[in-house]
Amino acid sequence: MGLTITEKILARAAGLESVRAGDEIMAKPDFVLAYDFPGYTDVYFQQMKEEFGIDKVAEPERYGIFIDHMVPVATPKEEELHKGTRQWCADNGVALYERKGIGHQVAAEVGYATPGAFVVHFDGHISQLGTFGTLAIGMRRNVLEAFVREKVSIKVPETVRVNLHGTLRPGVMARDVFHHIVRVLGPSSCRFQVLELGGDGLDGLTTEGIQSITCLAMFTGALTAIVNPEGERLDYALERAKKQLEPVRSDPDANYSAVHEIELGDLEPIIVVPPTPANTRNLSEFVGLDVQSGYLGSCASGRLEDIEVAAKILKGRQVRQGFMLHVIPTSHEIMAEAGRRGYISTLAEAGAYVSTSSCDFCYGRIATMTEGQRAVSTGTLNVKGRMGSPDSEIYLCNAATVAASAIEGRIADPRKYM
Amino acid sequence: MALRNLHGRVAFVFDEDDFDVDQIVGVKNIKIQDLDELAALAMTSYDPDFAARVRPGDLIVGGHNFGYGHPHYPPMKALRHLGIAGVIAESFSPGYWRGEISMGFPQVGCPGIRSFVDRWDEIEVDWRAVRIRNITQGTETGFEPLAHADVAMLEAGGLLGYLKREAEENAS
Repeated sequence: MGLTITEKILARAAGLESVRAGDEIMAKPDFVLAYDFPGYTDVYFQQMKEEFGIDKVAEPERYGIFIDHMVPVATPKEEELHKGTRQWCADNGVALYERKGIGHQVAAEVGYATPGAFVVHFDGHISQLGTFGTLAIGMRRNVLEAFVREKVSIKVPETVRVNLHGTLRPGVMARDVFHHIVRVLGPSSCRFQVLELGGDGLDGLTTEGIQSITCLAMFTGALTAIVNPEGERLDYALERAKKQLEPVRSDPDANYSAVHEIELGDLEPIIVVPPTPANTRNLSEFVGLDVQSGYLGSCASGRLEDIEVAAKILKGRQVRQGFMLHVIPTSHEIMAEAGRRGYISTLAEAGAYVSTSSCDFCYGRIATMTEGQRAVSTGTLNVKGRMGSPDSEIYLCNAATVAASAIEGRIADPRKYM
Repeated sequence: MALRNLHGRVAFVFDEDDFDVDQIVGVKNIKIQDLDELAALAMTSYDPDFAARVRPGDLIVGGHNFGYGHPHYPPMKALRHLGIAGVIAESFSPGYWRGEISMGFPQVGCPGIRSFVDRWDEIEVDWRAVRIRNITQGTETGFEPLAHADVAMLEAGGLLGYLKREAEENAS
């Protein structure tokens, strides 16, 4: 019986010949990543010093810190947090990425998505590094383990394999593929396991699209998602890799706890109805519902293909009077390219509010909704209160649907504008 | 050191699967820091007299994929403040599980638990025997054993204690 890519990566990280799903091991992460956030990094930095007497991390090159939340700041207290983070990084010789974009995307751009690497973070959306054959796991507060000792405790997870076939029809995007997976497999289908994507359908998806899918793995219950690194994705990652590692792949006879087949050509645009990311429905059931706000951005979506589709839909058209459309490219690198391609000017002329990258739109810190308001969003989550008042609502959908809805002020099917 | 058995009444049974624990205090209250205030609000939408009826050592029973969504820490802090000693569910969402084990809060995965207990039954979780006894009904059932790292973390009262204990052992 062969091995999964996850078993291979964890065996190397644990310094063992081989490991199997179910083994409890201690593994050394190649990279330890975090963004600064009150109650997380500030607490780790303090605990390292006060509880463990650690003045400096032993191998600073293994650590990477991002400032992407509370950017720009709105209070002196927020700026205090960032100031402390900058100081800690300087004292420890740890790389700091500030104002470069949303960390999970920037992590790939700067080379933490090294194929074959094991990466930990506290935030589960780091799973998107799996696009490049990197095993990246969100450990919540347990990531403290990786700040105070070399290794983290982990039970080698089983893997659920999802094979994608065929190609998407116009108006259907990678975002729909993920939500379709949740609908078909269920929100607990991959609990404590790894969601591994494969199949010839991957060839028809962009690297960006696969990042959208792997980013959201947690809503299937998965610890993370991963894909065998091949083609354009492998080239992208190797050019930028921070570490020399041999890329590994799942063996053809690897042991999976379940294997599912999905025909991409059968998919329709979907919409995920509040208040849970498990509420997947066909977009057509909700067309016509009044919406006041639209968010195109986040670590899941907001990449070039998302901005491109919105620009094409909005070219020569206008955002409806009173509708608030926020377009936030996922990183500065993406924003700069969107500018060169003319998408930003098209969106600005259509009446979109286009802002430099920040996490803050996704969790209601800015562009906050009030009671009774409703948004269409490519953000990560639609739970109550996520983007403002607990009595506002979030409908998750693809970028094309956000753009089409912005024109009408109602949930709209993008295909008629394409 | 061994884990102390859990022994108490079933203070509530959540029937719904994929339960979002933020509902326990209500999303609008999630930022409240004061534990007395938070505890007074906990569970009021399910049972207005919950705080008055619950006793130290009581347990909560949940469905499949308990803790799904985007779990925050305050709801379970509030329940612990009221004396709730652990959660037994059909199954758990990994993010929630990690978060609460790291707080030193016992979590027990037990397929079939919802049909094994009624509200206010007196039950016992025997870690060593890996059995849950329903003392009221005179029945017992097994549960899914914890990973060694999870046991170590619960024994140490949570992540911080666990890591400190290890650091001290390495130093000595």
